[in-house]
Amino acid sequence: MPILEIKNVSKFFGGLAANSDVSFSMEQGMIMGLIGPNGAGKTTLFNCITGYYPPSKGEVIFNGRRMNGLQPDKVCKLGMVRTWQKVRPLAKLSVVDNVMVGALVRTISLKTARDMAMEQLKVVRMEHRADFLAGGLPIGERKKLEVARALATQPKLLLLDEVMGGLNPAESEEIIQLILDIKAQGLTQMVIEHDMKAIMRISDRIVVLTSGEKLTEGTPQEVVSNQDVIDAYLGESHA
Amino acid sequence: MNKSMLKAAIGLIVLAGLLVIPRFVESPYALHMMILLFLSVSQGQSWNILGGYAGQYSVGHAAYFGVGAYTTMMLMYSKQVAPWVGVWAGVAAVIVVALVIGSICFRLRGPYFVLASIAVAEIMRLSAINLTTLTNGAEGILVTEIPAFKIGGRVVTDFLTKVPFYYIGLFLALLTLAIAYWVQHSKLGYYFQAIREDQDAAHSLGIHISVYKNIGLVISAVLTSLAGSFYGIYVGFVDPPTVLGLDVSVQIMLICIIGGMGTIWGPVLGSLLLVPLSEALRSNMITEGLVKIGLVSADSKVGLFLKENLAHAHVLLYGILVVLVILFMPDGLMGFVKKLASRRKREAA
Repeated sequence: MPILEIKNVSKFFGGLAANSDVSFSMEQGMIMGLIGPNGAGKTTLFNCITGYYPPSKGEVIFNGRRMNGLQPDKVCKLGMVRTWQKVRPLAKLSVVDNVMVGALVRTISLKTARDMAMEQLKVVRMEHRADFLAGGLPIGERKKLEVARALATQPKLLLLDEVMGGLNPAESEEIIQLILDIKAQGLTQMVIEHDMKAIMRISDRIVVLTSGEKLTEGTPQEVVSNQDVIDAYLGESHA
Repeated sequence: MNKSMLKAAIGLIVLAGLLVIPRFVESPYALHMMILLFLSVSQGQSWNILGGYAGQYSVGHAAYFGVGAYTTMMLMYSKQVAPWVGVWAGVAAVIVVALVIGSICFRLRGPYFVLASIAVAEIMRLSAINLTTLTNGAEGILVTEIPAFKIGGRVVTDFLTKVPFYYIGLFLALLTLAIAYWVQHSKLGYYFQAIREDQDAAHSLGIHISVYKNIGLVISAVLTSLAGSFYGIYVGFVDPPTVLGLDVSVQIMLICIIGGMGTIWGPVLGSLLLVPLSEALRSNMITEGLVKIGLVSADSKVGLFLKENLAHAHVLLYGILVVLVILFMPDGLMGFVKKLASRRKREAA
């Protein structure tokens, strides 16, 4: 059984179709890359999957359960959590407190939550930052904090929205390793990314969106050699 | 001795001091000041739970203060219900009001929530003015006789002096402090602060936003209602402007904002500054002080002018102070104290 099925999902804002008729499914343990030019509807799709927008049409099925209409908090409790393209640290809380907020969805005990949080900070190699204020972190660490906080909710499916955006190559490399480490733990991930080299390296399969529609889907090799994808990214004249 | 033991020791000494003050201080005015201080701490701390921790800036806390005060006073006035029973009726009424308000207003965010909270308090004030059969309208409710409090036939207190009010006030202030401490050190506090810092992020991390906002509101409203009931009984009189006016809401907020939002000691510091200040301004103590130290003479033009006008200008001075604090101490007195402490630490290191 696929862990996530997107069935004919459309999202309209007034007359504008931000997503139209998008379908694909994900198997347990895989990394699905989600790519497309700016405005292709990648983040909108994330919002539809995680409950921020109800899809206008179609269904999101997670672990056999229909998710349409569920609020983000419920989605998180059921095991699906997302990070934000524009990072959202809880600025006035310390790094460990930020991660604890994530962990507290699984426990009421602050002590347990703190232990869980420290564990996730180790995963992203930020345990030395535990007592820093989240608002004072540089961008690279903010991105990692997003991941740690999401992991602390103990998800079955992690959705990463451009975690490498705005990072330098060394920081990006660190995130790539992190994503691969998380995969090695058996966690399923969906990754929106603009960095093509990175997405080719980490993804098992890739879905390409353009103007809200699914252009194609396949392994990284299939996708890069697909003429439609080349057209969409480089323009038809290039071909 | 480590730092936390030192803190506990200081706390115990202060508490012991507060407990024995009425044995040594007989001046009703001094006790009155202390009671006002306790009332202010409990008001500020109640607001802090919703405004400071959860970041929901209610400018309508007079609604809860007033409903608590009115319920207790109305029951005492027309049904001769003892206040220590009436208080709980006030709490029950406030819970209902808070949940109705919360379920409607928490759909709104930021400035829209602020406006809605003001509107609700104004509705309460206008209702109190117009529902004359219940509330006596603009005349207010005057209750001078409080029945003696007995346990098993023995009179514990007959409320004839300020001493029982002192202890009730102290208890109320300590109760709100304890609840704020508990909130800060529980899942609830983490969730409140997450909502304050970033509502969307909080939502994605499994926090049911409206449930937690409503929990914060109910805790805050219940404590405010207790403070309102206490105020009503202590003063013996309530009318719409004194317990339901917009300035009551603003006053409650200011204690917390000036002291430091989202901190345990902020409302205490805010009260320690605002209560004596407002009392000094109101009673012309400042003019008297200036005369005493010889800065102005009592019958000079300036002296007479100050004497005539300063007491009336206390709201103005109060406003200026608020502006100064917000400009120079954006995190309130508590934030200022913390900054000084960390600077000293750095210089020492």
